[in-house]
Amino acid sequence: MTVKMNSSRRQFLGAMTMAAGAYIAPPALLSAQHAPAGRVAVGLCSEYNRHVVDVLSAMFDQLGGLEKLVRGKTVAIKLNMTGTPTMRLRYLQQGMTTWPHPQVVGALVHLLGRAGALRIRLLESALVTSEPLQQFMFAAGWMPGDFERAANRVEFENTNYLGSGKDYARFMVPHGGLLFTGYDLNHSYRDCDVFVSLAKLKEHTTTGVTLSMKNCFGITPCTIYGQDVPEDEPGLVPTGGRFLLHSGKRQPPKSAPPEVNLNAPKEDGYRVPRAVADLVAARPIHLAVVDGIYTMAGGETPNRHAAPIHPGLLVAGTNCVSTDAACMALMGFDPMADRGTPPFEKSDSTLRLAEQLGVGTRDLSRVDVAGTPIAKARFDFRRAWNTTV
Amino acid sequence: MSLNAKWVPMRWPCGPIEAARISKSSPAASELRKTVEGWTQPSALQLVRGTPINCLVVDWASGTADDEAQQAALRPLIAAGRELGLSFVGKVGTSKNPAAIVTAGRAAGLQAVMMDRAASMDASASHPLDLPVILGFARDSIDWDLTTDIFSATGNVWPGVVLPTMKGDTGVGGPTGDPWVDSNGWFALLSRRMVSDQSLWLEIDLPESSGVLPVESYCRAIADSRAYGSHWVLSLDDAMRAGMLNGDPQAISAWKSISAALCFFEDHSEWRAFEPMGVLAVVSDFRGQNSFVSGETLNLLNRRHVQFEILDRRGALGGAVNGLKAVLWTDDDPPTSEQHKNLLDFVEQGGLVIAPQYWGPAGGVPRQEYWLSGYNIYDLRKGRIVVAAGGFSDPFQLARDTHLLVGRENDLARLFNPGTTNCFASIGPGRSKEIVQIVNYADRTASYLAVWVRLNAHGAKLWSPNSKTPISLRCTPESGGTSFELPELSVNCAIEIERTV
Repeated sequence: MTVKMNSSRRQFLGAMTMAAGAYIAPPALLSAQHAPAGRVAVGLCSEYNRHVVDVLSAMFDQLGGLEKLVRGKTVAIKLNMTGTPTMRLRYLQQGMTTWPHPQVVGALVHLLGRAGALRIRLLESALVTSEPLQQFMFAAGWMPGDFERAANRVEFENTNYLGSGKDYARFMVPHGGLLFTGYDLNHSYRDCDVFVSLAKLKEHTTTGVTLSMKNCFGITPCTIYGQDVPEDEPGLVPTGGRFLLHSGKRQPPKSAPPEVNLNAPKEDGYRVPRAVADLVAARPIHLAVVDGIYTMAGGETPNRHAAPIHPGLLVAGTNCVSTDAACMALMGFDPMADRGTPPFEKSDSTLRLAEQLGVGTRDLSRVDVAGTPIAKARFDFRRAWNTTV
Repeated sequence: MSLNAKWVPMRWPCGPIEAARISKSSPAASELRKTVEGWTQPSALQLVRGTPINCLVVDWASGTADDEAQQAALRPLIAAGRELGLSFVGKVGTSKNPAAIVTAGRAAGLQAVMMDRAASMDASASHPLDLPVILGFARDSIDWDLTTDIFSATGNVWPGVVLPTMKGDTGVGGPTGDPWVDSNGWFALLSRRMVSDQSLWLEIDLPESSGVLPVESYCRAIADSRAYGSHWVLSLDDAMRAGMLNGDPQAISAWKSISAALCFFEDHSEWRAFEPMGVLAVVSDFRGQNSFVSGETLNLLNRRHVQFEILDRRGALGGAVNGLKAVLWTDDDPPTSEQHKNLLDFVEQGGLVIAPQYWGPAGGVPRQEYWLSGYNIYDLRKGRIVVAAGGFSDPFQLARDTHLLVGRENDLARLFNPGTTNCFASIGPGRSKEIVQIVNYADRTASYLAVWVRLNAHGAKLWSPNSKTPISLRCTPESGGTSFELPELSVNCAIEIERTV
């Protein structure tokens, strides 16, 4: 198997959101003060309708405009289609609870196209399958043709395996990484100029919250980081979930970069936040968009303890840590919280770890929040869950 | 005397042959022997009064020394049953002097005999038998050219979830990731197509159980057979039969539920005329060495909730492919020249043919798709011929690839929160009404189940075995079709949908 290193162009663009100092100092020496802050925009949007485009458009203007970020570029959007396509919370379509709503996906594609993006690629590592992403979408009742009509040259790729690429792209984590020294990913994460994480505003059983950063846990292919992968080379097709990253009970194939410390805790509350922080450091997010118009409280995938909620929010930002920090505050959590404090009852804070890697700050006193003030838009997830369930 | 397609069969184990079976399998079971004696008495027939069961299948001859006593013991039972309007079918498990055995059965009041092909041939070699025959086959060696108006098949599976779906708090699946569900639905559909005017009776061994089978398990076996158009020869476990005889309230209650499950399908006998729907046709002769790949592919397509039609390769394709999107040709045998022309016309007009060998126009240059490993794709005008490079060897892969090649955008029905449920869509005469039958294969109730169908509907009713009146379902337009939210589902239900033309 051949693996190509990620391109310098990607690193150049990554510098938009990553402090130069982060490349120099090892993780342990980095301080929160050095982590860059990015502007975050918060928009109120009560329903999935035509207003989504208007609200997002205004938010992107508040961030400085999309055009200078995407004109003439290949833009990759990592969707947040976690779990199976036929699993719903109660009777609700995934877009109302677990996945970004197709109206938000379509609006984002449309706005990127309008801003001059040359090519827009919708990406997801569809669970335990190598089928085309469009087929995964159809299974959920989505109409991928709607996205194709929203802009010129819209493409799809299931990134859970080698896909249409000839090789995996290797992304080394600056300063050695917290869990792995580097990650081998589907080529789509290399062959793009701009990387967008489009996530759902949700809690997460393992990592407390799942926002623009945790969405990137799903960029790892299960042919390398999944269950039952071969010892030496990646599997041909995904055969299970990312238990390898969760549990550390075995190593990925020898072809992939190794774990930093084989004696590291095997607990997923330790491992998953570190993997996520590594990934967003190695594969920077240029634009984070979080759909919180309708969502769910009490978990990340449909389960009997979860409840549908209606925060009526959209959040976007150019720094994923700052964006997720604003999201946490909007959800009624303290973004400076760490293990033992909600929502991190069982895990380390991904935000703190990413901050430690120099990706961005979670200190909202350093973040410029545009649009609706957080205090006015806050929707307390735990309170809503307590009153709904 | 002829076979009656309206028979609702039940196996009635009684007499010395059954007593001998019990003595062999559980010598100390005196309670079971009492049960057998009880079920041999005419009074036991009261148990089926008021139920849809109208045909009892009894052991008539096994080729053992017990046969004479068996037939003597059955005569009063049969006579009493005939008074009650019941029909009796005698199982003949021997090829020794079968003509005389059948003649004796007719004299005793049997209306048909059930025997395998060898016994039947021996019996009818010299002169026609006195009774009509229900020919029995092993499912994997069925001879579609020799089936009788009613025929039976052994080697079927007990419908249900084979592997546990939960291990503690963790969901587990079969080797394919999905819950491993056993169903005979595909075989019933195959039978409907191969011998459309004949009725299939499924003989199914009861699962090994230390006690009484859950009533839901019985109801599921009924639903899995009847929803797809076959009959299960109802068979009760020993403990259940003992309980019924002794008036055990739990057994009586379970029996009422089983009867209700049968009534549900009898009350909706008009659904038998509904035709399976599909945009995909699976073509094979479903015989001999072709039967495994083609049959198992049907099974696994069904498990993916793919609705399909079945075509016998030995027949003319003609207009049968009109209106389809795809044809899966599973056999290595190439099409006849007429079929070849039909298929090429179909492809040129935009159809998809999936085949184990290329037989399209010479000089075709194939292309590949990265997500479809092992196939060559030949574009031919508006359509495609997709050829498996190494033929078809893995039905699981073939079912998956076929589904993706046809495309989920062409799905006719989808289930959300399906768990271990499955669905079967059929369309009525005049095409104004569609029925979607849903069966839950797990012991757990299915919750928040939603059904989506590719049609515009202006009304829908939900029929359940536990209610004589339907519930109106709300029709929600979704993804170019209509979706329906179902209440909790124990075993089975059916949605009757009024199509908007």
